[in-house]
Amino acid sequence: MTPISLQSQTSSSFTTTHKSVVEPRASVKHQIEDLIGALNGVLLGKETQIKLSLACLFARGHLLIEDLPGMGKTLLAHALAKVLGLSYNRIQFTSDVLPSDIIGATIFDRELNNFRFVEGPLFAQLVLADEINRATPKSQSALLEAMEERQVTNDGQSRPLPAPFFVIATQNPSTQAGTFPLPESQMDRFLMRIELGYPEPAAERELLLGGDRRVLLEQLQPTINLDQLNVIQNAVDNIKISDPLVDYVQRLVAFSRHGNEFAFGLSPRGALAMLQGAKAWALICDRTHVVPEDVQVVLPSIVEHRLRESADYAGHGGGALAQKLLGSVDVVS
Amino acid sequence: MVSKTNKPKVGVALQIPRNSLALLMIAQVVVILPLAAHITLWIVAVCLMCGYWRTQVHRGRWDYPAGWIKTLFVIAAVLGIALSGYRTFSLEAATSLLVLAFALKLVEMKSRRDAYLVIFLSYFLVATAFLFNQSMATAAYELVAVIVVTAAMVGMNQLHSQVRPLSSFWIASGLVLQALPLTLVMFLLFPRVAPLWSVPLPSSAKTGISDRLTPGDIASLTQSDDLAFRVVFDGDVPAQRDLYWRGLVYSNFLRGTWSIAQPLQPIRIEPGKSASVAPNQTLSYEVFLEPTQSNWLYALDTPVQYGSRMDLLADYRLVSKEPVLSVMRYALRSDTKFRADLSLPPHIRARETALPPNDNPRLRDYAVALREQTGSAQQMIATMLEQIRNQQFTYTLSPTTLSRTNSIDEFWFDSRRGFCTHYAGAMVFALRSADIPARMVGGYQGGEVNPVTGHIVVRQYQAHSWVEAWLPEKGWTRFDPTGAVAPERVESGLNAALSAEDRAVLSFLSNARMGSDNFIGDILQWTDSLEHRWNLWVVGYDATTQLSVLSDLLGKVTPNRIGIALLVGGGVSLSLVAIALFWRRRPLQQHKVERLFQIFCVKMARQGLQRDGDETPVAYIARLAALAQVDTNAMQAVLQQQLYDPQAHFSFRDAQWLRQELRKLRFRLAFTTTGTAS
Repeated sequence: MTPISLQSQTSSSFTTTHKSVVEPRASVKHQIEDLIGALNGVLLGKETQIKLSLACLFARGHLLIEDLPGMGKTLLAHALAKVLGLSYNRIQFTSDVLPSDIIGATIFDRELNNFRFVEGPLFAQLVLADEINRATPKSQSALLEAMEERQVTNDGQSRPLPAPFFVIATQNPSTQAGTFPLPESQMDRFLMRIELGYPEPAAERELLLGGDRRVLLEQLQPTINLDQLNVIQNAVDNIKISDPLVDYVQRLVAFSRHGNEFAFGLSPRGALAMLQGAKAWALICDRTHVVPEDVQVVLPSIVEHRLRESADYAGHGGGALAQKLLGSVDVVS
Repeated sequence: MVSKTNKPKVGVALQIPRNSLALLMIAQVVVILPLAAHITLWIVAVCLMCGYWRTQVHRGRWDYPAGWIKTLFVIAAVLGIALSGYRTFSLEAATSLLVLAFALKLVEMKSRRDAYLVIFLSYFLVATAFLFNQSMATAAYELVAVIVVTAAMVGMNQLHSQVRPLSSFWIASGLVLQALPLTLVMFLLFPRVAPLWSVPLPSSAKTGISDRLTPGDIASLTQSDDLAFRVVFDGDVPAQRDLYWRGLVYSNFLRGTWSIAQPLQPIRIEPGKSASVAPNQTLSYEVFLEPTQSNWLYALDTPVQYGSRMDLLADYRLVSKEPVLSVMRYALRSDTKFRADLSLPPHIRARETALPPNDNPRLRDYAVALREQTGSAQQMIATMLEQIRNQQFTYTLSPTTLSRTNSIDEFWFDSRRGFCTHYAGAMVFALRSADIPARMVGGYQGGEVNPVTGHIVVRQYQAHSWVEAWLPEKGWTRFDPTGAVAPERVESGLNAALSAEDRAVLSFLSNARMGSDNFIGDILQWTDSLEHRWNLWVVGYDATTQLSVLSDLLGKVTPNRIGIALLVGGGVSLSLVAIALFWRRRPLQQHKVERLFQIFCVKMARQGLQRDGDETPVAYIARLAALAQVDTNAMQAVLQQQLYDPQAHFSFRDAQWLRQELRKLRFRLAFTTTGTAS
């Protein structure tokens, strides 16, 4: 679409750092298309959500999937791990899960006559924190350090987590029984929050007639390797941003801070997340720069869980705010 | 007293926000405070009680008063004011009623509607305060009060969940600041219409020199450093000894007290026909007289030109047709060599030689003897002054107390201690005893030059009295016996004539004012000059001054021209505010292509095809292209690239091409969609 020769520059900047990543932009495009295609085969009729979750992972962010039970949250998470070729652990959060069940614990090894750290399920490249809001806040916060610093500390010793490290958490809407709402600090660590929603009738028909999803999941093969994922992630960082676009993002952020409907504004981390998400989306759309459409597409999933209506003490209803934000802020200054 | 019934509560949407309630109560205190000095104390107590009651209501401890309690309050309040000893329909009574109602409103303030009423009443009370005092300090205070009241109004419109009292103050200050230019225009240009009904004016105590003069009066005035008036001279300021500010003429004497007699008829001096020997010896000056509640004015001898609001009576004192209730500004021209009454009318001669039948016998005998001994009136006066100068007379502000009858005898022959009134009184009495027409004149002598503005300040401690005697061939002539006993009083002001003992009696401020190179004295002079400018430009800007400003500005003052001036002035002041607001919200940097696109959007909006705020440039062009049924893909690509790809090179040719393409699209839409757009 754009007649810009970014390619030469991209490759030259990469060759200096990584040898294995000297790949043309076209291959990145193909890889992304393959990924989307593979995931589309498993989760039917949810292309936007699939693209958003890929964008989230390409932007090195953690993903929160919120929806009712049985909507395919776990399926999507599991399928992502499979197609990206990442090591995968699943933690089922229940109300009695403790931090040591997640991080791991130091136990006494009788044979070595010594204390030994046994790694918990967190030590994987992609961790699925299933039904994260069923655990108590204490256990939820075991993820805080892991998600931000990509390391865990046990008995005063910091241990790095494998790279790349992604957390995909699923949660039921907090209005459901037996849930503990995630604290704002935890929410802020998720780059995106998406909802899957009911499938379209056509997609659902296909789902009903098609084979067992679990079998399909088993058959899913990784379409890219770690190096290729690394290339994609670096390509996201190299997407360019123009002044008018930064102005637009700043106007959005400013509106959330001064508008009366907002209990509090977007944090600088929120603004960064908006740009990072938009960059990843621009890459998926095969563009070298971000356009306002990218921001508009990713904005709801990035800001909804970071905003709260000032009249809403319980902390729901960020969705309307995101629409308000989009509708009230002019794209062009 | 507090009813326990559960009345239906006001809905949340109509409740007064907590933040605003606090601001409202602060505003009430701020607004009532300057009025508190003019109303009785029990009303202030009622205000405090109402405030406490409303706080308890807010805390949920008490309930709002029941209907019958409120009725009781209102009746008690009206009765209370009626019994407080105000004059009927006086300003004080009206203000008391207003403040009381204002305070009582607090305990029935439930919904927003009530709160708005309180806010509007607050603005009204702010205006009321100016009926009592128009000084600069009051104006500054009331400006703050307006900001506080406005802040309370801003607080009313804040959300319950966002309690930001400080930010409402900021917003209120901004609002008041934005209103200032328009206020200025209205102040300068809006016609001063005479009120439809007269507002009763405050009945405060009369200050300054009174129409009755006992020797103690001037002494107590001397202890006050209150301002009497300020004067601006056209040209050089005359010497201190020539500044005799003539105010009152005391012709009657009874039992130690001098008082003014029945006012004489006004006279008119024809400038051309004045009896002056030297016609060029005139002084022109402007006086800013502080309110005295009386109608006499102060002038140098002898006013020959004065405004139509004033009269010159036959004893050459200048009086205003109405009492001076606020700062009065008047311009005068005085002829210093004017000879008054070269031929004395019989009724005035009778008036100025009258004495009560039998008191002060020693002085009478002394006067008759002296007259015979000296021969002429002039010679007699000279001898008396000589005696005052050479014998054991002392000038002091704390003389020995004299008895009521024969007080002048006691002073002249025994104590010989006194100040201006004693000396002048004795001299007038002696002259009248010798059948020479003489009268006591009261006013002020001297004046301090304020070095900052160059005007002259006359304060109460410069109050003075002197003698006027009628001499054949010369008419009424001024003699000042004080100048004989204490020449420095007349030459260089009161300060020089005071002993250490006298000085101890004066207030700290008076001493500071009179000490010349004192730091506090400098500050006092500076504030005095500020006050003077305030009087000159703000308080003194009355209908007459306005008319002259308007005629300078408009040439001929007609309602049409005033209307146009108001429109232009208002427009200019509002656009100033608008420009300031736009300047604050100007985009920090605008991209060239973005601006080009922006202009296109504005033009399209005029054609009825507005861009939605959240519509991106490309989406907008695509929509327009669909309407116009043209293919704009190339233009969209270039536009998006120029706008959002930081690596795209901006070239003038691209911009030109883009502009052309946009124009093409616009023209095409102008012709194809006029029907659909409207």
